[in-house]
Amino acid sequence: MPNEVAIRIEDLSLRYRVSVESRVTLKNAVMRAGRREKRRVRTIEAIKNLTIDIPHGSVVGVVGANGAGKSTLMRSIAGILPPTEGRIIVNGKVSTLLSLGVGFNGTLSGRDNVILGGLAAGLDREVLEAKFEDIAAFADLPDGFIDLPMRTYSAGMYGRLAFSVAVNMTPDILLIDEALATGDAAFKEKSFDKMRQLCEEARTIVIVSHALGILNELCTSAMWLNKGQMLAYGEVEKVTDQYLDFLNVGKVPSALEDF
Amino acid sequence: MTSERSNIPSLIQVFEPHKAALPPLRPYLRELWRRRRFALELSRFTDKAEYLDSPLGSVWLVLNPLMLALVYYLLVSLLAGARGNKGTGSGFDTLAHILIGLFTWYFAQNCMTMGGSSVTLSSRLILNQAFPRVLLPLSSVISAFRQFLPTLPIYVIIYIVGSRLDKKTTLTGMSWHSLWVPVIILFVGLSGFGLALLFATLNVYFRDTSKILAYGGRIWLYLSPVLWLPERLHGWHRILLWANPLGPVLAMTTTVWIEGRSPSPAQIFAALAWAVGLVLIGGYFFISRERDFAVRI
Repeated sequence: MPNEVAIRIEDLSLRYRVSVESRVTLKNAVMRAGRREKRRVRTIEAIKNLTIDIPHGSVVGVVGANGAGKSTLMRSIAGILPPTEGRIIVNGKVSTLLSLGVGFNGTLSGRDNVILGGLAAGLDREVLEAKFEDIAAFADLPDGFIDLPMRTYSAGMYGRLAFSVAVNMTPDILLIDEALATGDAAFKEKSFDKMRQLCEEARTIVIVSHALGILNELCTSAMWLNKGQMLAYGEVEKVTDQYLDFLNVGKVPSALEDF
Repeated sequence: MTSERSNIPSLIQVFEPHKAALPPLRPYLRELWRRRRFALELSRFTDKAEYLDSPLGSVWLVLNPLMLALVYYLLVSLLAGARGNKGTGSGFDTLAHILIGLFTWYFAQNCMTMGGSSVTLSSRLILNQAFPRVLLPLSSVISAFRQFLPTLPIYVIIYIVGSRLDKKTTLTGMSWHSLWVPVIILFVGLSGFGLALLFATLNVYFRDTSKILAYGGRIWLYLSPVLWLPERLHGWHRILLWANPLGPVLAMTTTVWIEGRSPSPAQIFAALAWAVGLVLIGGYFFISRERDFAVRI
């Protein structure tokens, strides 16, 4: 693999089966067997034959309707979902900010969650302690909230902390899924500045967002996913325009704005 | 441009379909070892969130099995009295046996119940971060161990006070046979870890596993030599002792703590076989399926 490629995806397909049942329990399984019924499952083809090279230092926006496979793609780049077919090669340290990953345990404080998340990512405790000040300062939560259980946080505070963790872990590859929508205008501006700075440091960023205006501003390129297939990949404005034409809404402000 | 690129570390990860059930074990175990602090801190932070790290928290932890032991002792004495069966040894011997048996049993059961729900309770983390999932049940086992530790001095105190008061007791004191205690703890911990892995995986596929475990655990307790002495079983009934994954190690507990002897080679071998077997079976079951967890959770 050439050195300048950060993420190489070769003919990636990802399928999984989900159970249609309300709750998968042993009780239901026994009842079903009693009625000689089969388990109702549905196979979801989340990604179909995707091939792409993402070079280092590029900021790639991912657009597509709901259920297009955007989040699945992010999770498979992060190594959380293994491919069904094909291969993903990632060259660098990945930091994920997928649907607000930090705060997995609401009973623990923000501080504990940050430390635990970092340890799970394989960072040293000492490194984490050193970075914690930066993270807390960037998130800039109201007084004392960092030591309160995370279930007491508002959605905005949640998002601020999660974003702060992701960008302050000095990742080589930053994956951001729909996390820009949280936070107030001031924090949003701070986030953009931080991302611009990360881009300048030749880091690679992949952003999933419905806010096309923001993607146009931040990204160098974009890809458009539809029902698991990549319909377009290239210069960001071209791709977002194509996507807008497809949505048949034209350049209305709501599609460009963050919603 | 070249100077910028030299900053980029060559850390290459390849994600491929898993045809074989198990991932390559050597890198898996290396990643596991690298993140061992996570299991430890998760257990510590969870205890802290439940105030179990406070002095009163440990009192609370000891009180629960202690009260249960008293209830069971009353029950067992009543049953024995109703049948006119005085049994061997004094009443205090029976109480001591139930106490240390229950304390040890609860170590294993806590591994099962806490470990069993460890994966399903961490869905957020599983969906958002790639790491060896074995760390989650491992953390539960560490918690169970930490809850078990303070019960040991309690037993010793009760033993010392009780043997002063009850002159009929046949209990022997501490001797070099007590050196087997760490071995017993290790065996229980390993067995508990294996069972935690097994039930954690099952719980992903059948969400009512933890409920079934609550009933099943109680029946399992009655079938184990905790409320009754292992030598009460004769003939083919003794199968109950060896076929029970926790049977041999609980029999060892009685031999070492109550009878003050060293365990028999058969006991040691059976307990070791179950401990290693459970870790291997549970480990295979868990690790071969853990990459499936993210889509099922």
